[in-house]
This record gives sequence, C-alpha cells and structure tokens, in this order.
Amino acid sequence: MFEHVLTGIQASLQPGNLAALTFGTFVGIAVGIIPGTGPMVGMVVLLPFTFVFSPSTALSLLLGIFCGGYYGGAIPAILMRTPGVPSSIVTSFDGFPLTQRGEAQRGLSAALMGSFTGGIISVFILIFLAPLLAHVAASFGPPEYFSAALFGVVLVVMAYREQLSRGLLLLGLGLWLSTVGIDGPTLSPRYCFGSLSLQNGLHVVPVCLGLFGIGQTLILVERQILQTKAMRLTRRTLDFSKLVENFRYWKTMIRAGVIGTFVGLLPGTGSILASFMSYEAAKKTSKDPSAFGQGTPEGCLASEGGNNAVPAGAMIPLLTLGIPGDALSAVLLGVFTINGIYPGPLLLVKEPVLINTLYVSMFLINVVAFIMLALWLRPFAMIVKINSAVLAIIIMTLSLVGIYSVNTRLFDAAVAIVMGVLGYILLRLKWPIVNLVMGFILGEILEQRLRESLSLGEGSPVIFFIRPISLGIILLTILIVVIPLVLDRKRRKRTAS
Amino acid sequence: MPQPDETPSRVHDLFGTFLGAAATGILFSSPWQVDTSGPDPFYKGPLIYPLTVLGLIILASLPSAWRLVKAHEKATWKLDGGGFPSKPLVIFLFLIAFLCGLVLIGLRVSCLLFIGGSLYYLEHRRPGVLILVPVIMTGLIYVLFKFFLDIWFPTPLVLDWFGG
Repeated sequence: MFEHVLTGIQASLQPGNLAALTFGTFVGIAVGIIPGTGPMVGMVVLLPFTFVFSPSTALSLLLGIFCGGYYGGAIPAILMRTPGVPSSIVTSFDGFPLTQRGEAQRGLSAALMGSFTGGIISVFILIFLAPLLAHVAASFGPPEYFSAALFGVVLVVMAYREQLSRGLLLLGLGLWLSTVGIDGPTLSPRYCFGSLSLQNGLHVVPVCLGLFGIGQTLILVERQILQTKAMRLTRRTLDFSKLVENFRYWKTMIRAGVIGTFVGLLPGTGSILASFMSYEAAKKTSKDPSAFGQGTPEGCLASEGGNNAVPAGAMIPLLTLGIPGDALSAVLLGVFTINGIYPGPLLLVKEPVLINTLYVSMFLINVVAFIMLALWLRPFAMIVKINSAVLAIIIMTLSLVGIYSVNTRLFDAAVAIVMGVLGYILLRLKWPIVNLVMGFILGEILEQRLRESLSLGEGSPVIFFIRPISLGIILLTILIVVIPLVLDRKRRKRTAS
Repeated sequence: MPQPDETPSRVHDLFGTFLGAAATGILFSSPWQVDTSGPDPFYKGPLIYPLTVLGLIILASLPSAWRLVKAHEKATWKLDGGGFPSKPLVIFLFLIAFLCGLVLIGLRVSCLLFIGGSLYYLEHRRPGVLILVPVIMTGLIYVLFKFFLDIWFPTPLVLDWFGG
C-alpha cells in the first residue's frame, strides 16, 4: 500500500506529468475566466492531444483543466459580476459588492483561499472514501451495476426536473446514439443506414467536442458575452496580507469542502448546488448573516470552497463504480476507456499506481492553481478582454483539426460539426445538454449490464428485485423520483393558494 | 410536464415533437436497420435495448406533441429574442467548406482561408487581426499536428490534378 503511494508520488512528480498538470491548470484557469467557455470547452479541445500521452499524464492534463476552471471562474464573478463558470454566480453575491467598495483583493483572496482549501479537503476525502466505496462495489454483479448506473442516470434527469420531458428526451437520444455501430456481443450492425463509417460507432471525442466545443463557440460567435470594459485591478499579484485574515473562517472552509465533495459525489447535482449549499450553510451558521449578500469575504470563501470540492467528489463514483457524476467526469471516463482502463471497484486494486498518481496530481493541481493565480492575478484577469468571436474561430479550427487527428478520419470531424449544430440548438433552447452526454457515455454500460443481467435471469427482469443491493438501489431510485415530484406539487399548491 | 419558461415558446415543442417523430420512424424501421438473424434470444439480442430507448424518447416527446397541437393561448414562435441565427449558419457553412478544403486544398490553405474568411465575415477587418491571427494559427496548427503529433493529412486533390 505504502509502496504504491510512494510510486504514485514519484510518478506524479515526473517532469512530463508536472508539465501536463501545470499546462492543464493554466488552460483551465484561462477558460474558467472567460465567460461562455468554461472547463468543458478546454477539456474537449485538448482531448485529441491526450492520446499521445500515458493515461496518467493525459488525466493530469484534463484534471488540471477541470479543477483550474473552477479557480478561474471566481475572478470575473468578483470583478465584473459575470461568472466565468455557472457555479461562480454565488461568489458574485458578495464578491462584486466587495469590488464596488474598493475591496476586490479581499474578495479575491477569500475566493482563492476557499478554492484551495475546498480542493485539498476534497482530495483527502476522495483518498479515504474511494477504497470504502470500492470495497462495497466489489460485491456487485451485473444487476447491481445496472441499478447503480440507472440511479446515476435518474439523478441527472431529476436534477433538471423542471424540464423533465426534455431531459428524458435528450437522455434517450444519448442512449440511442450509443447503440449506433456494430453491436459487440452479436457483431450485428445497428442503425448504420448503409454507411461503413457508422459501423465503427460514434466516438466519444467528436460527440463531446461537437456538443460542447463547437456548439458553445457558435453561441460565442452570435453573442457578445464578455463585458470587457468593467475590468479593473490595480495590483499584478494577490495581496498576500489579505490571505491571512481568511483563517478566521476556518470552520466555513472545512464545511464548504465537505459539502462540495458530497454534492459532487452524487451524479447530476453539479457545482452550482455545491456553491449554493455551502453558501447557505455558511450564512446560517454565521454570527452576522445579514452581511451575506452585502459583501463579506466569508460568502466568497464558502461558495468557492463548495464548487472546488466538486471535481474530487465526482471522481469517487467514477473511479469506484465507473459512473460519472457530470459531463466533465464523463469525458474523463471516455479517456479511461480509450486507454483500455475500465473504472470500477477493481480499478483501485488493478491500477494502484495510476490511482495514487491521480490523487497526488489532484493535490498538486490545487497547489499549482493557487500559486499561478496568486502570482499572475492581473495577467489572468486580462484574458477576459480577448474578443469572443476571434477566440471562437480559433477554438473551432483547433477542435476540427484535433478531432481529425485522433483517428485521421474526416468522418469524425463531420460528426463533430453535426453535433456542434445540435449543441448550438440545445444551448439556445436551454435544454439540459448534460443529459445527452450522460446518456451517450452511460449507454454502453447500461446496455451491457442489462443484457448480462437478463442472461443471468434467463430473460426475467425479476433478477433486479431478488438481489438485496440491486433492490435497495432500485428503491432508492424510486424515492429520488417520487419525493421531489411530490414536494414540487405541494410547493405549487401552496404557492397557488 | 411543467414548462420552465414564463411565456412558452412553440419552438421547444416543435423540436421535441421532431425528435419524437424521428424516433418513431427509427423504431418502426429497426427490424431492417438491425441485423437480428443471430441465434440469441430477444433478451440477449441487439434489439432489446435500442427498442426500449426509442420507446423512452417517444414517450418523452408526447407532452411536446400534445402542446404543439393544443397550443397555449399565449404561446408564440418567439424563442429568446436572439433573432435568426444567420452568423452561426454562415460559420457552419464555413466549417463544412473547411472540411472539404482539407481534402481539396490541404491543411495550410484551408486553415488560412477558414480563419481569415470567418474573421472577415465577423467584421474583424483590422489588418493586424485579419492577417496575423490566421497566419499565426495556421503556423501553430501545422507545427503542432504535423511535426509534434506527426499526423497524416490527405494530399490536396488540387495538387494531384495539376501535378498529373
């Protein structure tokens, strides 16, 4: 065990890995700062480049973007009331009033300190919780895996329950898209419509890159999202004297980290909920709750602590069950499977070095992001002045050439363009695009486990209900569907009366 | 199913119905689109899962179809006030042209033309932007993909035609 940890530390400190996580963090902060892009765009654009790296280096690069994005998102939220990533909207509640009072450095220090502690706490929870969950998951068979994947899918749908039918439609579309191509067990071509290229199925890279990369950039082309004139920052670096005062909110720091990790652990809940819950918890327990919303550093600290804990939290179900918690970790799952690594309870036993490298890399990413932002605060903040249309064209060109380079197939680039148009339509309609991606990524797992389970039960679905763990997960799934719907109905009735 | 928008737009329902109709078409054509000649029983076969999923899509599209037929009196075709997406449409056409250009005129020329053309269309016509951005990006892409990643790109067809 200790030997694996040491090997993991050694591997993560290799120059290649360090360079990858530093570059990933840099890109993550940059795309996090630019409103309208976010870590997903950064991840999918760099995805094709990861195929030349070892799995641990590739994952360090992408995790750097994943975590760095949340660090960067707070800066425009505090300085311009424009969140770089959606979850940073909560940071702007107190960050922007601080800026208006000429105390932007206090807000930025609190946000950065919150991000750092949230990130570090969540990595420690990940290290302790992942083996426990993996131990439970070791007794899983196909019915339990199917039930767990179904639970994840249902959580995602219920997270967007105000758009329930649309969410289900997109989930179904994602699940169906995952069936296109040759069916593995029977070698039967499915829905290829006479196209030889479709027989290979749809690759995760063009689908994700199209939906998020090209779709989002088409929106950027259309709308001037950035507000560049409002940006003001007098110091080049962070005011380090302001960092120390945040330690008096140490309870808020720990609470935000814990809340964020557990929210990230649940599929579909996302970082916005983590920010809100941490913020509300800090407000409720504060000696001066009225200061929240008026410009208190504690608000920035709580919100950022919550959302920065999400990436490590999302890694727990991903590594132990192979079930991604959100679209970003779904892309990471794609990277794992492309490299022939299948996350699940045995991953921690089979690939201890990779797992320990990931843990240490996530720890290092938080340190690197903290140092980068503390030292280059103003240069990073000025990124927001880059013209969005120019940026969009650059991202599109890189994306298309990148997708082609993965398999040197123009067909993949064409798929990305089609997905880009679909992504653009869904973004304009404000439909929950994450359901489509989750459906596409989880589709294969669901189908495989469903067919294996039915084979075990000789065609009878009763097998899902006679195994205690599977039955428990199914009952939990029913509860998470029924309870929110009943509560919503009661709330609507109360509002109407 | 609840509608999240204060003023419901019929565009949502049209799109939902379109997806449902497409799924219905695919569902009925499934026996011809999926080879089921293997010896496996239905529950092990290649059709059970896609049929379930298509059924889910159709069910989920029913509320949209219902709303499309029985439109709310306040419902309009207005979506978000963003207007017709002319810019994304033109850039989409440029993207297709870029892809065809990779085969016809090669990576470097198509990159230059795509980036330059798009910036010109989006009214970034200052020489600094219009010339420097395409040249720098094309150079960067060429170095990155050709030399660093050693990716094979198709020989431009134009060269084949003129080179005999």
